[in-house]
Amino acid sequence: MALLSVRNLHARVGDKDILKGIDLEVGAGEVHAIMGPNGSGKSTLASVLAGRDAYEVTKGEVLLDGKPLLELAPEARAAEGVFLAFQYPVEIPGVGNLHFLRTALNAQRRVKGLEELDAMDFLQMAKEKSKLVQLDAAFMNRSVNEGFSGGEKKRNEIFQMAVLEPRLAILDETDSGLDIDALRTVAGGVNGLRSPQRAMVVITHYQRLLDYIVPDKVHVMAGGRIIRSGGRELALELEEKGYGWLGLQDGKGAATKGGEARR
Amino acid sequence: MTPGLTRYVDVASRFQARDTATTPAWLQRVRQEGLAHFARLGLPTTRDEAWKYTNLAPIADGAFVPSATAGSTAELAAVVARLALPGPRLVFVDGRLSPELSSVAGLPRGLTLKPLRDALVEDGAFLEAELGQRALAAEHAFTALNAALLEDGAVLRLAPGALSEVPVQLVFLTRGDAPVLASPRILVVAGEGSEATLVETYASATGGGSGQGFTNAVTEVTLGDNASLKHYRLQAEGDAAVHVGGLHVRQGRDSRFVSHTFAFGGVLARNEVHVTFAGEGGDATLNGLYVGRGTQHLDQRTALDHAVPRCTSRELYKGVLDDRARGTFHGLVKVRQDAQRTDSRQQNRNLLLSEHAQADTRPQLEILADDVKCAHGAVVGRLDAQALFYLRSRGIPRAEAERLLTYAFARELVDAVPEGPVRASVEGLLAPKLPGAPRTEVTA
Ligand SMILES: Nc1ncnc2c1ncn2[C@@H]1O[C@H](COP(=O)(O)OP(=O)(O)OP(=O)(O)O)[C@@H](O)[C@H]1O
Ligand SMILES: [Mg+2]
Repeated sequence: MALLSVRNLHARVGDKDILKGIDLEVGAGEVHAIMGPNGSGKSTLASVLAGRDAYEVTKGEVLLDGKPLLELAPEARAAEGVFLAFQYPVEIPGVGNLHFLRTALNAQRRVKGLEELDAMDFLQMAKEKSKLVQLDAAFMNRSVNEGFSGGEKKRNEIFQMAVLEPRLAILDETDSGLDIDALRTVAGGVNGLRSPQRAMVVITHYQRLLDYIVPDKVHVMAGGRIIRSGGRELALELEEKGYGWLGLQDGKGAATKGGEARR
Repeated sequence: MTPGLTRYVDVASRFQARDTATTPAWLQRVRQEGLAHFARLGLPTTRDEAWKYTNLAPIADGAFVPSATAGSTAELAAVVARLALPGPRLVFVDGRLSPELSSVAGLPRGLTLKPLRDALVEDGAFLEAELGQRALAAEHAFTALNAALLEDGAVLRLAPGALSEVPVQLVFLTRGDAPVLASPRILVVAGEGSEATLVETYASATGGGSGQGFTNAVTEVTLGDNASLKHYRLQAEGDAAVHVGGLHVRQGRDSRFVSHTFAFGGVLARNEVHVTFAGEGGDATLNGLYVGRGTQHLDQRTALDHAVPRCTSRELYKGVLDDRARGTFHGLVKVRQDAQRTDSRQQNRNLLLSEHAQADTRPQLEILADDVKCAHGAVVGRLDAQALFYLRSRGIPRAEAERLLTYAFARELVDAVPEGPVRASVEGLLAPKLPGAPRTEVTA
């Protein structure tokens, strides 16, 4: 059984249809990359999976380990193991990064019937995990993402993932805004978290990231659908030929023959 | 006169008729003038510009009377122990001084703290000269009513150059078993270059239960040149209490004044702060946090009078309103023609936590000088949906996430209190109202 099954997923905002029938199966231990032009619906898919209520699911279903996910509140999905590294991590002045993360971890532990971690134990664990992405202790003491640079925010997302140890991690353009060294660090952190029990969906615009985080599968989204799926080589081909090669104009709009193009 | 007003006037007249033989003539005159002004001004209504948002119905029937005694029970002592800061303090119960619960031990050198009723007898000339100079009975009905019933309160005097690290605390308890009218008057006169901290704590002896009662407090502060005062008003009575408080400050040259108003309690509370810059180079910071729920009505009124050049004022008031609570803010900054190089900033931000909560905000600038820096702004908003989703996506349940974000909104004003016993007291009073505060915060 796949760890994540997305079946014929449709979603909209207001009366605007954004996802128009997504099918996606990700097995435990696998890493899938999703590419596709701006506005094709990648972040929407990620948000719908994480439970953002701005989006209305109009059709389809999502299963996590065979259990329906869409009826759960975002916090319940997190406790089931869903983690979204945001494309635009939110700044939350007044909420300390460490306090926030300990609150989150303990909330998840409560749901699982585990004992809560006290401040000292948590701190020790957090320090250990922060090394993975080389996030300085100073950032842990600041308000959540407040005044963090773009790259620092992305590292903070991966740091949170390391602490929360999700079953399904969705990384939405975690590579954008990173300099080359940071990209290596973050990719190294992500690779360190690859495990046979964990699935990852990596959304990116750049083949470069996939040199570091080597995916098992690559999907191309356009116009709210997955129009092409393939192996790693699909990303290389896209890099070389652009989206036009898949019948897309300037990376915009829907696939001309979306259905047929799918493998 | 409305029947309610007549009742207040009768109550004050009876009060003034006692002990006329032993009451000094000047004090009789202050009280009588107060009563006359009160009768003339009447209780404000929403037709009065300054009371536009606040309906005084809970006190309009005039059913409140001054208490005869304070008393000191074990229960009261326990409440005082919970609220007390280390340092000298005077305690009042239902507006009456409780000598048993008070303690002026440890008063730093150069500070004099006296119960008003003692000072009225012992320091008549001083009080006659100082009382009613900052808070004008002729202009404010509640100041007038307070003057009409003048008897209890406190006088804090700072000798020139006196420096005090320990806060001086005044605790006002409302017992809440009878409709009592408490009218404390506080007088602070700070000599040149002196520095002190004054904390006024208002609470219900019932531990925040029902506890009716009407507190009408007036504080007058005169800061000498280069003097510095930190003033805290922790207004945290039970949900049935009514509170009207006026803080009136006059700042001398290069003086510094910081006011922290925490308004958490009462079914109806009005907290006023009036500051007049009378000497150049003065600096005033007005901080306020009001947190209402249920049907609480919390009304903040501030007025900064930049009457002379080169003064600085900073004002930040935040409101958190849940259920059907209503918060109002009206802040006036007046910059007179001569007050060149005034630097003033005023902000009011409100967070509504329910559909039925309401905030009215009215920042007001009146600028007559031309070489000034003035900014003001007001916001009424709700919890940020993106931040809420971010927290929930990490596994934090909605209610807990909302509490975290609510505390995050308010904490700026808690953090503005220097770490120490006063901060701890604020946090303790705030905790039941805003439970999102971190219990133990460890830093890496
Ligand atoms: N809350 C919203 N309200 C209105 N439109 C929305 C909303 N969220 C997404 N959209 C629209 O849906 C489409 C898909 O957006 P989405 O953010 O999912 O794209 P994306 O593939 O992640 O793009 P990018 O590569 O630029 O990040 C866009 O046209 C976008 O404007
Ligand atoms: Mg996106």
